[in-house]
Amino acid sequence: MENAVEVSNLVTYYGDRQILKGVSLSIPAGMTTVIVGRSGCGKTTLLKHLIGLIRPTSGTILIHDTDITAEGDQSQLEQYRKKMGVLFQGAALLNSMTLAENVALPLKEHTKLKAPVIDIIVRMKLDLVGLSGFGDFYPAQLSGGMKKRAGIARAMAMDPKILYFDEPSAGLDPVTAAGLDELILRLHRVFKMTVIVVTHELPSIFAIADYVVMLDNGEVVFVGNLDDFKKSEKPIVKAFLERRPEEVSYSPDNYFKIITGT
Amino acid sequence: MKIDTVANSGYTVVSVAGEIDMYSSPALRDTLLSLVKKKAAVVIVNLKDIKYIDSSGIATFVEALKKMMAYKGRLKIVNVPERVMEIFKFSKLDQVFDIYGSIEDAANS
Repeated sequence: MENAVEVSNLVTYYGDRQILKGVSLSIPAGMTTVIVGRSGCGKTTLLKHLIGLIRPTSGTILIHDTDITAEGDQSQLEQYRKKMGVLFQGAALLNSMTLAENVALPLKEHTKLKAPVIDIIVRMKLDLVGLSGFGDFYPAQLSGGMKKRAGIARAMAMDPKILYFDEPSAGLDPVTAAGLDELILRLHRVFKMTVIVVTHELPSIFAIADYVVMLDNGEVVFVGNLDDFKKSEKPIVKAFLERRPEEVSYSPDNYFKIITGT
Repeated sequence: MKIDTVANSGYTVVSVAGEIDMYSSPALRDTLLSLVKKKAAVVIVNLKDIKYIDSSGIATFVEALKKMMAYKGRLKIVNVPERVMEIFKFSKLDQVFDIYGSIEDAANS
């Protein structure tokens, strides 16, 4: 099995707080991998590393054997960014541009394609996500689900080898969220991309995942296929799957430190 | 990407080999639009030796087809690899292009 992503001993701090504590994992190429875990477990931080938005304190990330954490030469990171697409949580569309202009933006910025070709690509991408005829609409005129679809169209503009989704179902009703899951599945099936999804939505995980990475408190606690994830006997995995809340217990000393800020 | 153009009696065959991507497709566009400019009646695009085609390649064919339809020219595509056919089907482009199994079939249709 070929790996698209190899993360080795990734350590990250925000200030004094250690967010990722030596994360090592592999993500297989051509599969849909979901990175799961409770809020605050470090999964979005890991995603930010994978797309090259932040640099780790230490550790390496190889994307198809290219080290995107290497200091100095930025050209490899730039090349990688042209080969990936990201759907951010809020879709991150530019509100002053129409949908067509949003989708065309990366093509205009990174290629020398002529306007008629770009126009056709834009219509193809909008059609892929079920937004034919909405090219002249502005993001503010769309529902939450349509914005996400438009964000996917833009993420797909450059025909990425790896497509990332950050909490795609966040803020969507269950029916719209299920429709988005179905779209992710169809795009993956047809275009054979490596799809990496950060989510904590159980229905999404069960619907789209081939492979699961679970983080807890900045550490990897599970890596494997969906069936193994469902059958896992690890208490942390079972608690997540059974939606059991964490038992919080402070010692009197800890509680005193928390409320006095010492 | 390598493009080989051969003019025959009544049709022109454009054979493309290698990868058609965002960086190479402008050369394919130049070839096809030069044939459109000459109002070529039938252009047969042979995809037998392509390893990869991205959206810009497909869009280039769509643009050429649109321009040829304006003067009743015909753009035919042959030897479409299975992977590419899946994308054509997903995008409903299999119903837009004239697709044939071989150059002979396309030439005789």
